[in-house]
Amino acid sequence: MIEIENLHVAVAGKKILDGLTLKVEDGQVAAIMGPNGSGKSTLSYVVAGRADYEVLDGSIRLDGVDILEKSPAERAAMGLFLVFQYPLEIPGVATMTFLKAALNAQRKARGEAELPTIEFMKQVRAAAAKLNISQDMLKRPVNVGFSGGEKKRMEILQMALLEPRFSILDEMDSGLDIDALKTCAEGVNALRGDGRSFLVITHYQRLLNFIPPDVVHVMSRGKIVKSGGPELALALEASGYAEYAEGAAA
Amino acid sequence: MTGLSSKAEEEFSGLLPADASASAKLFFEQFQRAGLPGRRVESWHYSDLRTRLRVVPPVAHAPDEAARGVARHKLGASERLRLVTIDGFFAPELSDDFSGVAGIEISSVGEAEFFGGAADPMLDLNAAFSRGGFLLEIGVGARVEPVIEIVALAGAETDRSRFGRNLIRLGAGARAAILETRDEGFAGFGDSALFIELGEDSQLDYACRCRETAGVEVQTLNVMLAARAKLRAVSLLAQTPFLRRQFFVSLGGEGAELQLSGAAILGRNDHADLTMVVHHNAPACVSRETFKYVLGDHANGVFQGKIIVPPHAQKTDGKMLCRGLLLSDDAAMSAKPELEIFADDVACGHGAAVTKLDAQQLFYLETRGVPHIEAEKILIDAFAADVFDTLASEGLRDVLRQDLSDLLGEKEPAS
Repeated sequence: MIEIENLHVAVAGKKILDGLTLKVEDGQVAAIMGPNGSGKSTLSYVVAGRADYEVLDGSIRLDGVDILEKSPAERAAMGLFLVFQYPLEIPGVATMTFLKAALNAQRKARGEAELPTIEFMKQVRAAAAKLNISQDMLKRPVNVGFSGGEKKRMEILQMALLEPRFSILDEMDSGLDIDALKTCAEGVNALRGDGRSFLVITHYQRLLNFIPPDVVHVMSRGKIVKSGGPELALALEASGYAEYAEGAAA
Repeated sequence: MTGLSSKAEEEFSGLLPADASASAKLFFEQFQRAGLPGRRVESWHYSDLRTRLRVVPPVAHAPDEAARGVARHKLGASERLRLVTIDGFFAPELSDDFSGVAGIEISSVGEAEFFGGAADPMLDLNAAFSRGGFLLEIGVGARVEPVIEIVALAGAETDRSRFGRNLIRLGAGARAAILETRDEGFAGFGDSALFIELGEDSQLDYACRCRETAGVEVQTLNVMLAARAKLRAVSLLAQTPFLRRQFFVSLGGEGAELQLSGAAILGRNDHADLTMVVHHNAPACVSRETFKYVLGDHANGVFQGKIIVPPHAQKTDGKMLCRGLLLSDDAAMSAKPELEIFADDVACGHGAAVTKLDAQQLFYLETRGVPHIEAEKILIDAFAADVFDTLASEGLRDVLRQDLSDLLGEKEPAS
């Protein structure tokens, strides 16, 4: 369970999150929808631990533990995962080396033994097959020369391997065609249950057709302004965000 | 000619034995005329040897039993065929027996017996003082499969001046992979010379790893390539208090190819200067110079590269690239790539860039659970390791990759 309370965050001196409060229960899929500039991506970066974001007030607790003082790697080892809107290309670092470093670093942090190479390869191959990721892609440096869709599938592959307890999907649908969107959504849905929870950040209802949420929150001007069931997303699709932007401005 | 002699120059004068040969005396006079190079000499501007070398340690003598003991202790076991030098002297007692390996001839040399190469005062100084190097010859058409390793060790336990001078010669069509491990320790002064002569159609993979170089050290490589010869050479430098490694390359026959690469992993107050002058002396030769510097603490990296193309060297293809990665605000990088082109049908270029670690890439790795210091090592390794890819010998590549990984493993967190 993740609990965010009264979070105030500034980036380069400008306040982006303004008293945001949000709770995602174990096993829950929560969607956050909101207009451009409402602070959705900032929220995902702050939860993941980006250093150049200044937390002015508030708390973020993962399973009861305050994570604000923890490094991004420590947060990851606690079970946090961020699907980047724009995954980074890392020339010179082989994908398999990267995956193994990530997996073993997390295992080490949790006091578990390193995964034997054969077992590791087996897990990667199995996960890759489900996501239509070719052996050739695995041989390339991390995300280098990948299309938008390939990059997102690689994010979901990492998620499948690392089995996080809490994942943030930051506009996973951006840059994806409908087939790639389906493949990625299936990858996410396969991980649902078993107490895992997800925060799905998106502009559009469309993604939620493939990853049906339990709750929907509307974000505007750095805070949650309305919460409801899946029907809220459908209403937003019909009416747009104008009412929330104006409401917040008043 | 410099004005006043420095104290070090005078000391060299006193160290040259009275019974030195006429040619040794001649080279020493040449050295004296130029003097120890320093800031005022353009090609030495970034490595002020004249200021840096204040005291000249006694000249190392041929190794005795005690020196062999010291060297043997450091040498350890290896599966590679090894040629060992102690304080610059070829040490057959510590070297492997090459008599069973077809195509290889190894012989000792007394005073400097092979000359040529560049006009350089430190090369002249080496020629004046050097004794007892080796000549390694790979015969015409010989294909030597196993990696041959040259190990340069110290025998003396106090500061010494060392003047190793060796020659590697490949006959026409020969192929070999040679690893040079320079590990003479931090003490003293070094002024070594390595001559590499490649016959027509020969191919050499050559990797040199320099660790714990002398307090002040100059390494000069003189390389000559005949027609269609190929040299793929990589240097991996680390823990260099003050090192100048200079290459004088002559692409002397049509269609010769040079891949000259290197990585310098520097910290503390390390100073490493990689200087190269690549002379395209024949048409249709190819040269690639690619050097990477990782600079932490107060380290200082220097790259000087010059590609010279005379009028007759048409169809020359030369490209030079130098990249620095600054890990600290106190580290510095100086780069001076130059092209001197007198032919009109050539493709030549150069580039230089200095960057820092990419904060976004670091963050990405960290969000996957890789701790910050490990994430830095992964990115540094990726930055530097690709210079090894120019080597055709997988054995050499593996050695360098492992060395780099070990070096980064020892690295302190960047501040």
